[in-house]
Amino acid sequence: MTETVLEVTDLDVDYNTGEDATHAVRHVSFTLEQGEFVGLVGESGSGKSTLGFAIAGLSKPPAVVTRGRILFDGRDIASMSREELREQRHGGVAMVLQSGMNALNPVRSIRNHFRDIFEAHGHVDKRHWDARAAEIVGKVELPPQVLDRYPGELSGGMRQRVSIALALSLEPQLMVFDEPTTALDVLVQHAVMNTIIELQKRENFTALLISHDLGIVLESAQRVLVMHEGEIVEDATARQILKKPKDDYTKMLLSHYADPRGEVVELPGFEDRAARAKTGAKRADAAAHPPTVSPRERRTDQKAIVVEDLVKVYPPPRRGEREVRAVDGVSFTLEPGASLALVGASGSGKSTIAKLITAVEKPTSGSVKFGDLDVGKLRRGQFRSLHRDVQMVFQDPYSALNPLHTVEYTLTRPVANFTKLRGQDARRRVLELLDIVGLSPVEEFAAKLPHQLSGGQRQRVVIARALASDPQVIIADEPVSMLDVSLRAGVLALLEDLREQWGVSMLYITHDLLSARLVTDNIMVLNHGKVVERGDTAEVLRHPKDEYTVKLLDAIPNPRKVA
Amino acid sequence: MTTMTATQQPAIAKAPGPWSVFVRVSSTIWSNGKARIGLIILGLFVVFAIFAPLIAPYGASQNGFDRSADPTAAHWLGTTAAGEDVLSQLIWGSQVSIFVGLVAGVLSTIIAVLVGLSWGYARGFGGDVVNFIVNLFLVIPGLPLMIVIAAYLSGGGIAMIITVVVITGWAWGARVLRSQTQSLRSRDFVTAAVFSGERPFRIVFREILPNMTSLIVGNFFGAATSAILAEAGLEYLGLGDSSVVSWGTMLFWAQNSNALLTGQWSLLFAPGLCIALLATSLTLINFGVDGISNPRLREGKQR
Repeated sequence: MTETVLEVTDLDVDYNTGEDATHAVRHVSFTLEQGEFVGLVGESGSGKSTLGFAIAGLSKPPAVVTRGRILFDGRDIASMSREELREQRHGGVAMVLQSGMNALNPVRSIRNHFRDIFEAHGHVDKRHWDARAAEIVGKVELPPQVLDRYPGELSGGMRQRVSIALALSLEPQLMVFDEPTTALDVLVQHAVMNTIIELQKRENFTALLISHDLGIVLESAQRVLVMHEGEIVEDATARQILKKPKDDYTKMLLSHYADPRGEVVELPGFEDRAARAKTGAKRADAAAHPPTVSPRERRTDQKAIVVEDLVKVYPPPRRGEREVRAVDGVSFTLEPGASLALVGASGSGKSTIAKLITAVEKPTSGSVKFGDLDVGKLRRGQFRSLHRDVQMVFQDPYSALNPLHTVEYTLTRPVANFTKLRGQDARRRVLELLDIVGLSPVEEFAAKLPHQLSGGQRQRVVIARALASDPQVIIADEPVSMLDVSLRAGVLALLEDLREQWGVSMLYITHDLLSARLVTDNIMVLNHGKVVERGDTAEVLRHPKDEYTVKLLDAIPNPRKVA
Repeated sequence: MTTMTATQQPAIAKAPGPWSVFVRVSSTIWSNGKARIGLIILGLFVVFAIFAPLIAPYGASQNGFDRSADPTAAHWLGTTAAGEDVLSQLIWGSQVSIFVGLVAGVLSTIIAVLVGLSWGYARGFGGDVVNFIVNLFLVIPGLPLMIVIAAYLSGGGIAMIITVVVITGWAWGARVLRSQTQSLRSRDFVTAAVFSGERPFRIVFREILPNMTSLIVGNFFGAATSAILAEAGLEYLGLGDSSVVSWGTMLFWAQNSNALLTGQWSLLFAPGLCIALLATSLTLINFGVDGISNPRLREGKQR
């Protein structure tokens, strides 16, 4: 624990130079000791990946290191030539990318990927290539048979393991993991993360784990660097960060974590649900949490969504494989004004259910009824009668808005289609919608294009669009999973208030059990299209009965576990 | 000083109006070296075509000069077998080529857009029918089909040529646009438009179409190129109205009068070179158009 592997001094990385330069990394200094596991946490745009790329010598224009030094093994990475960089990759710095699993060449077997590396660096004797490759994939808990497979034949988790193995094959002293598990499913994420931790302990290389998720970092790293707007605001051991965070930003990040299994679950803006239920208080009743929407009369004509024995079968993905039963005999009722969580890992069929309820897809058998409307039998021309009352909030705010239309256009369309408002009245309604979702000054936001908005703002526009027809039901498909932690609570509070103040019922689809605990009363756990557990949200999460629910709960990175 | 900028909120940029989009697109094309050469060549031809009455030394079919004369000071490129000035014919002829290229390019692009987009958005039986028809047009060899149609519609002049070029030229573009439509239709914003109560027609033409502008522009230049080549080819074969002066008919008459055997190579060479240059210019512009759709092909300006 004495030898310094990496020393970064006063580093600046800019995008572009001169007038329109953006300073992504500013005055960053830190050191990494041999064998350390260090986490680098920050929200999107904090410059953490830019820093990671600079350390690995992978900075590409327009990113330019404008100041400072990155000393690795006594040599400055920033000033190395391409060839020097290439040579130092053996025994030097290796990087595993978030999309590393997609960086494999689909027409070459895994064995060939290893051979390419061995050949380029010549550090392994040709006779031992296969044995060495088998040994390395073994280290990431893959059987040697994967060497003969092609990337397309492996799952996302396996491919990410392969990309870790490839990075490992150069016997690096320092491994930089850039969001290595973010693109993976919750359960797989947990397993891959465990592999990385085990691997680091065994091989004793130095590791830098870059992540937006403080939970993952605290669980695995000994020391944590917190990055905010290009600067490192805190550098302390994981324990210290957890117990005595010094910086306000770190405190803010920490405050957004809680154990969904806890007796009392509170987040900024959310008091414990059980306590509220006892007194009948609404979220916005607490003095500290101003309501996001003003109360209004509940409507009287609300209808329930009744799902009975719903089945959706997709044709086999490849010849010779079996058909996919995405949804397999699911029944439930969403009462007016109720909130129901639908949780499960990816592929559990939860998003398919959303599509079936909203008539985007047709069920194979079973029925979906909204009042007396048979959703499964709707024809294209009748969609408006359903979408007037049942609206959807999409997972990815970056793809749910047409990049070429202004916010005003996006919101005007549903107003024009579902209401009788036209011209100035329609515009007034659009501005009112923006006000409801908290985007003010409204006129300024109305004129913006999606790329001028942050992720959280975009998601608010998506919610505003869903509200344009004044719906009775909102289907929220992972509405916060693509957002930064600090923005999540705001969006969740908005959804909760819409339900409590307006009586909009909500089907909340997620893999994030903590948010499910915050905004829903009832929960259904889905596994391979079947409901494995259902009941009161707090009850199910605190005392899970099904094995799968327990697995999901265990997969949640929990900083408190460190203590 | 400079460190301030990162902490400040980015200034609110105005929503780009149609004019600024046009300026941006043009400057993107212009910034590409190849495209710049293409634009200059095309520009020259357009100037020649528009100002032909001023530039051309003689009328297009003004004859009475020495027949089959070699280049002289009075006739830079010599005269034809009918005693017309070749240079003047060349300049006047550019009008036809550019007109046909432009009109046939626009028309076949419109058809390609209409068919490609609705085909890409529709599912089921209708799609299969369109698929069959498009495949039919794609598998039939182009030139024979053109000749057959041209012979069938004989005597229509330029309008006939345009019709033939459009009929045979839209299918490939339709197929390309269809595949792009299919990939765009699975995007969330298209589903979201359905939730906004939009009708299919509006979804296709207001949500999907603007997202493939560059593809359509590229398709237009491609279609215009092949239209120019097809026009020249058909007229060279004598299937057009041979009394119209165009590069194609110049080649036709040059061939008829055995210009190459009599050593009058400029009669064949000059119009041939012009056709090649015009087609090349459009192809070069298409290199720049690629930069609009794929920002990575541009220099590292934006993130």
